Amino acid sequence: MKQLAKFGIILGSICLIATLVLAVTYEVTKPKIEAQRKAEEESALKMVMPEAESFVEKNIDGIDYFDALKGTSLIGYCIKITGNGYNGYIRMIVGIDRQGMIKGLEILEQAETPGLGSRITEVRPGEKEAYFLKQFKGKLAENLAIKKNIDAITGATITSKSVADAVKKTVTEFLSKVKK
Amino acid sequence: MKLSGEFIKGLWRENPTFRIVLGLCPTLAVSTSVSNGLGMGIAATFVLVGSNIFISMIRNIVPEKVRIPCFIVTIATFVTIVELSMKAYAPVLSRSLGIYVPLIVVNCIVLGRAEAFSSKYPPFASIMDALGMGLGFTWALVLISAIREACGNGTILGFYICKYFDPPLFMILAPGALLTIGLLIGCINYFSLKGKR
Repeated sequence: MKQLAKFGIILGSICLIATLVLAVTYEVTKPKIEAQRKAEEESALKMVMPEAESFVEKNIDGIDYFDALKGTSLIGYCIKITGNGYNGYIRMIVGIDRQGMIKGLEILEQAETPGLGSRITEVRPGEKEAYFLKQFKGKLAENLAIKKNIDAITGATITSKSVADAVKKTVTEFLSKVKK
Repeated sequence: MKLSGEFIKGLWRENPTFRIVLGLCPTLAVSTSVSNGLGMGIAATFVLVGSNIFISMIRNIVPEKVRIPCFIVTIATFVTIVELSMKAYAPVLSRSLGIYVPLIVVNCIVLGRAEAFSSKYPPFASIMDALGMGLGFTWALVLISAIREACGNGTILGFYICKYFDPPLFMILAPGALLTIGLLIGCINYFSLKGKR
């Protein structure tokens, strides 16, 4: 019994020290982590909607999106999309004008197979944009179809298809809701 | 006992990857590019040094029977510190290493050193041991990932080494990791056995 109490006190005090250290680390890093996430989102927004000057975060029936404003006039929307990839979720953000024409597409997070599916974000040497994502520009979201107007990445048909399908589905759903 | 000896043994004679063959899970998984390998190596070294110092300091207080939970709590704390700071200050690296940073907790090198070394020796020797082991793990990871990145993606640290070469993709997938590590361990064993004969 005495031994048990001794073990408990020792283990307990080590846990207490650990908790204190972690609490301090968490508090110190939290604002930085938040800021990083914000900055990442903001740079993605600028990429998919270069003409816009400001963004207002909104939500409609579970779809997170941003109104893209130039001055005070609404020039389009940026929508957050989550697609089911080959290997977990693919989180992306798409910029569309008010008619549903795609202005730009950026991947925020993906865990696709390195060298195959992860090529959706690959930039060829000497180029500025990812060649897969560039194809989406100037196309109407409702018409997107792999092999018809979007070339899939060799060896990564499932990833390519899930990006195109997720954009098509979410944007179509979003437009029908916004127009109501 | 010589301190420099504690440092040097991790680099070659008792190299965690090639000699003791510990911590192969992260080695196989993250050695797809040199930056990942280097980041993982440094993160693991930090955890090793931190946990070795602390465990060595408490080695006389902790009773034999509850030592493993004490070690795990210590290691988990250092891993969480690394994970949070990496998210805050190196978000790109944190995203590409993903789940393997929190998984340093179960990296057998860290618990192995706690059990085999720092719970028996004073703090300074433990720091030397941790640094040696950490750097040994890091150079092994960098070597493996350099071979895999160059062969599988045609790049080193993201720079194209040859534009006109179509790299065999399997080198950065799972089979490439097993082949590279197997061949390297084979070569090292061959040469060290040859030296003995």
